[in-house]
Amino acid sequence: MTDLSFPGQAASPGEGAGQTPSGGSGHRFDTRRHWAASLSLGFRDRDGRTRMTRARHHGPLRVQRPFYPETGHIPDARYAEPCHVYLLHPPGGLVSGDELRIDIEAERGAHALLTTPAATKLYRADSHGVCWGQHTHLTVRPGALLEWLPQETLCFDGARGMQSTTLDVQGDGCCVGWEVLALGRPASQLPFVSGRVEQRFALTRDGRPLWRERQPLDPMHSRFHGYWGQGGSTVQATLWAVGLTAPQAAVEALRECLPASRHWAVTQRRDVLLLRYLGDERNAAWEVCQQAWEVLRPWLSSRQASVPRIWMT
Amino acid sequence: MVTIITTIRRRHMSTEPVSQHDPLALAGLMQLVSPALPIGAFAWSQGLESALELGWVDDEASLGEWLAGVLDDGLTRCELPVLARAHRAWAEGDAEALAHWNDWLQANRETRELLEEEQRLGGTLVRLLRSLDQVPVAPVMPETPGYIVAFALAARVRGVSCEDAMLGFAWAWLENQLTVACKALPLGQTSAQRLVERLRPALVAAVTEAQALEDDDLGPALPGLALASALHETQYSRLFRS
Repeated sequence: MTDLSFPGQAASPGEGAGQTPSGGSGHRFDTRRHWAASLSLGFRDRDGRTRMTRARHHGPLRVQRPFYPETGHIPDARYAEPCHVYLLHPPGGLVSGDELRIDIEAERGAHALLTTPAATKLYRADSHGVCWGQHTHLTVRPGALLEWLPQETLCFDGARGMQSTTLDVQGDGCCVGWEVLALGRPASQLPFVSGRVEQRFALTRDGRPLWRERQPLDPMHSRFHGYWGQGGSTVQATLWAVGLTAPQAAVEALRECLPASRHWAVTQRRDVLLLRYLGDERNAAWEVCQQAWEVLRPWLSSRQASVPRIWMT
Repeated sequence: MVTIITTIRRRHMSTEPVSQHDPLALAGLMQLVSPALPIGAFAWSQGLESALELGWVDDEASLGEWLAGVLDDGLTRCELPVLARAHRAWAEGDAEALAHWNDWLQANRETRELLEEEQRLGGTLVRLLRSLDQVPVAPVMPETPGYIVAFALAARVRGVSCEDAMLGFAWAWLENQLTVACKALPLGQTSAQRLVERLRPALVAAVTEAQALEDDDLGPALPGLALASALHETQYSRLFRS
């Protein structure tokens, strides 16, 4: 009863023997087009410093060498010195048939921060309407802190796919993260008027579901413009934090520190803090998330937030 | 589609009482969906009060759109199919399924107030059923029972079929939302009845659609309502608790 995997996640169409016309690279451009990439990272506390002790990749999904911008001894630190890692997807965007799997695990005492050097682009589906998929699985062991702070996802008109985030938290493990999604290309006057993208979140602690959410984005559906749904918004963001010792106090702190607006709101339920943004400004959504993370950092760790330099380039 | 529904109906029928011809069950359903049922449902607006404050809902037409949307993207995909699963679990004595769906539903509650509403109404209804000696020893009541599993039990005890319980649940929701609007908008009584007339067929359609959904299709899609409900936590002037 605790299986929270997403439908279709295990499917790998077109991988049958002898079915790939281009000599096993997986490239084909019919309805079974498929290009899989995966990345599996593990983090451990080694003598007070978080080390990336596992880095396996398959296909065009890589990491840069980890680095340690948060040096310095912290008295009573709950975690080892944080390890910052940038995830790279050299193609820069997802097209029909792309299937990305990201699997990250933080062991006891580890503190890992993951981000990306640029926005992920989701391109228009091919003429067969083949979907892409991006599935992130975060495992946080007791006594670990994992920060999942990717740059935004830009979803172009006609894109079709599924983005799922599965969070498997154990014991007092802590996780903070976000997904920021912008639809269409407003600067080029190319709004998201066709296609279908679905975002899903499933967070369990010790196997018990604490938070589940699905956000189907279908411009042809009445919820896309209706106020109960997207209300016509082109940018949305969802930030979560789990493992806070005083979630309601953290909610109050966010309300105090962030400029009030009807485009974002924060709540907490079942020990999960949730901040949601719905509006039309990518920068506003990003700033709310980044500021919220900076406010939350001292609640999660004894270190102040250290903004990844890549965000400023 | 027809085949799916028939199959599902048949599955339900095997363990379900058929209430269409059972006046006692019908009277039990009326008891359960009456605003006089002392569980305090009148105190909760499910984000509607905030939607009024935000100006998203400001007249009969916009209220009709809001309610049709919440019915389609909320009740149809979440409360109603979970109610059906809980009703079946009570019938089959499946405590594990009851605990699972109770937990699953509460994990889907978007905000603190919406979860509180689920838990308060559920707790109160369970206490009422206990006072009436209507809580069985087995299957075991889930920990922190929500409104949905409690409602399923109350319907089951009264011999109300799964389909009728779903329709009754949707009816009680609609009537409560209209009462909120009559107080807070305010909406005229005739306008409220016009909306009932408009949405009555939608309630029936929602029950049919909800019966055909598989487990993987479930989950509400109400980002605007979620935002409104979280904003309600800091709303300055408020009549309702959600």
